[in-house]
Amino acid sequence: MYLLRIHSILQLIIDVRKRGDKELKKMKWAGLALAAAMVLTVLSGCGSSKETLNIYSWADNFDADVLAAFEKEYDVKINYDVFANNEDLLAKIKAGGSGYDLIQPSDYMVATMIKQDLLAPLNKDNIPNFANIADTYKNPSFDPDNKYSVVYTSGVTGIAYNTKYVKDEIDSWEDLWNPEYKGKVILLDDNREVIGMALKKAGKSNSSTDEGEITAAVEDLKNLLPSVLAFDTDNIKQKMIQEEGWIATVWSGDASVIVKDNPDVAYVVPKEGGTIWSDNYAIPKGAKHQELAEKFINFMLDPENSATNYESIGYSDPNTKAHEFHSEEYNNDKMINLSEDELSRTEWLQDVGDKLQVYDRFWTELKSGRE
Amino acid sequence: MKKSSMGLLPVLLWLSLFLVVPMLIVVGISFMSRDDLGNVVFHFNLDAYATFFDPLYLGIYWDTIVLSIVTTALCLLLSYPLAYYIANAGPKMQTWGLALITVPFWINFLIRTYAWVLLLRTQGVVNNLLLDLGFIQEPLQMLYTKGAVLLGMVYTFIPFMVLPIYVALEQMDKKLLEAASDLGATGWKSFWHITLPQTKSGIMTGSVLVYVSTTGMFVVTDILGGAKSAMISNIIQSQFLGARNWPFGSALSVIFVITSLILIALFNKAMTSRHMTAKEGR
Repeated sequence: MYLLRIHSILQLIIDVRKRGDKELKKMKWAGLALAAAMVLTVLSGCGSSKETLNIYSWADNFDADVLAAFEKEYDVKINYDVFANNEDLLAKIKAGGSGYDLIQPSDYMVATMIKQDLLAPLNKDNIPNFANIADTYKNPSFDPDNKYSVVYTSGVTGIAYNTKYVKDEIDSWEDLWNPEYKGKVILLDDNREVIGMALKKAGKSNSSTDEGEITAAVEDLKNLLPSVLAFDTDNIKQKMIQEEGWIATVWSGDASVIVKDNPDVAYVVPKEGGTIWSDNYAIPKGAKHQELAEKFINFMLDPENSATNYESIGYSDPNTKAHEFHSEEYNNDKMINLSEDELSRTEWLQDVGDKLQVYDRFWTELKSGRE
Repeated sequence: MKKSSMGLLPVLLWLSLFLVVPMLIVVGISFMSRDDLGNVVFHFNLDAYATFFDPLYLGIYWDTIVLSIVTTALCLLLSYPLAYYIANAGPKMQTWGLALITVPFWINFLIRTYAWVLLLRTQGVVNNLLLDLGFIQEPLQMLYTKGAVLLGMVYTFIPFMVLPIYVALEQMDKKLLEAASDLGATGWKSFWHITLPQTKSGIMTGSVLVYVSTTGMFVVTDILGGAKSAMISNIIQSQFLGARNWPFGSALSVIFVITSLILIALFNKAMTSRHMTAKEGR
């Protein structure tokens, strides 16, 4: 079809060259109009009559077969776009008119979006499977009554270390400061995570807004800097698998992936406790297919669907009813299924308001190695 | 005349809509402030510019300028002989030489940068080779250092330098060289008095391209530098995302554009005044 159109435009151009000057202008405009018409048809060609669920989430965050099953069961089409970080998501939703029906912000971003009035309250009548979620993940501090969000997956920042090089027993954040690991420590490339870690080490809240506490934590981190090989979030897994780093601050889900590829690596939630995070389902205000989005959340929380999905993506499944459908390997993975004891030591990051600027300046200081 | 300026109309419209207007928005935002949630608030002030004069940010900017100048100088030193060789080679070698410079460009820049990670890491190609040959006993820590950043920058931007210099060498009037040799000038003398001044435009274009691209680069410092040596563009990026301080990010961008323009103007002036003396010498 399109080839034919392109051919006819070429023909037209040849015609224009053959004709006299008088006709030339007219033909040029006709050519332009035709080209414009072609672009328009190509652009609008992807439209279809089926209802579409527009999802905006992290890359590879769902199992493709489960998405296809939802499309089939409800006779709809899923349009799945991806973002790289919460800030991209916020910018897009804030700008308005994004057309997304379902988004997946992390915990602190849910809080920010609620404050900015960007989320629609969920109609729980459409999500009866909400009851399947473990109590630990219900009513989180960033959305106390789950009015706007439902947990999707969760993890805890702990320490991953390679037992080939790290012979001591690791149970505290303090161990990162051990001079024996100089040049082999990797930290997450995230101001709240790293400064929050140093705050936890000192026995404070990871979301402290006390400038004295934050300053002390940063001074402590400056002593760690000479040991730091790199700051990394996206490729920290490769760096640990390839044994470039010996010891690192790592999310539990990533630790599970690392251990599968390099069984010498171990993972621990330090005794001082760590930061817990979650990714959640939420619906932006003004979404055109809110009910369908709620049906989708419910579908994903069905025990069998949920088992297939989390088994495939390898993250923690908050669905208590899904346990029996999971493989033994999945159920025995201690990094995917953290113990009650480990979870009891964790703390959510809170929005720190204008103190974010303090965190950011200190972070810049740490990352540039300056005073 | 009129007809040709009519032809410029679409591109002028395009540029003013998608380049000038966004730039004006950036300038506008740089004079505003942010609220606790990171929203831009319409309240005229110079706070964002005042923040820049914090020694922390000044220091990072200074480091960025130094790294960019060193990168540009290294690119020039490596590229000129290469461009000279290609321009003076036979037609077949010219095609091959240019292809070798441009073809890697068709591969995604991120992938090319990760390739350096595979080469340089502790269990990478270079370390394994050196270990096997017995030159070293322990793997070298080459990755996540300032040297790795410099290497990555020079590697990335060399084509930006080679191509303009090559074009200048190609367009050079070769008869001048014949005349010089007829008058008894040695190879170095005619290079210094004829080839170099004649290719100044290429050197200038290449240098400006490399300098501006280096100051604006933040991926190389993250991937090869382990995100440990923040450059000004890393700071700008984080102000727009993580720190949610758009006014400060905008102010940094405006300062960045202005200082770059001043430096380029100074550079151009230095180059052209030298060019004048060279002309007199002829």
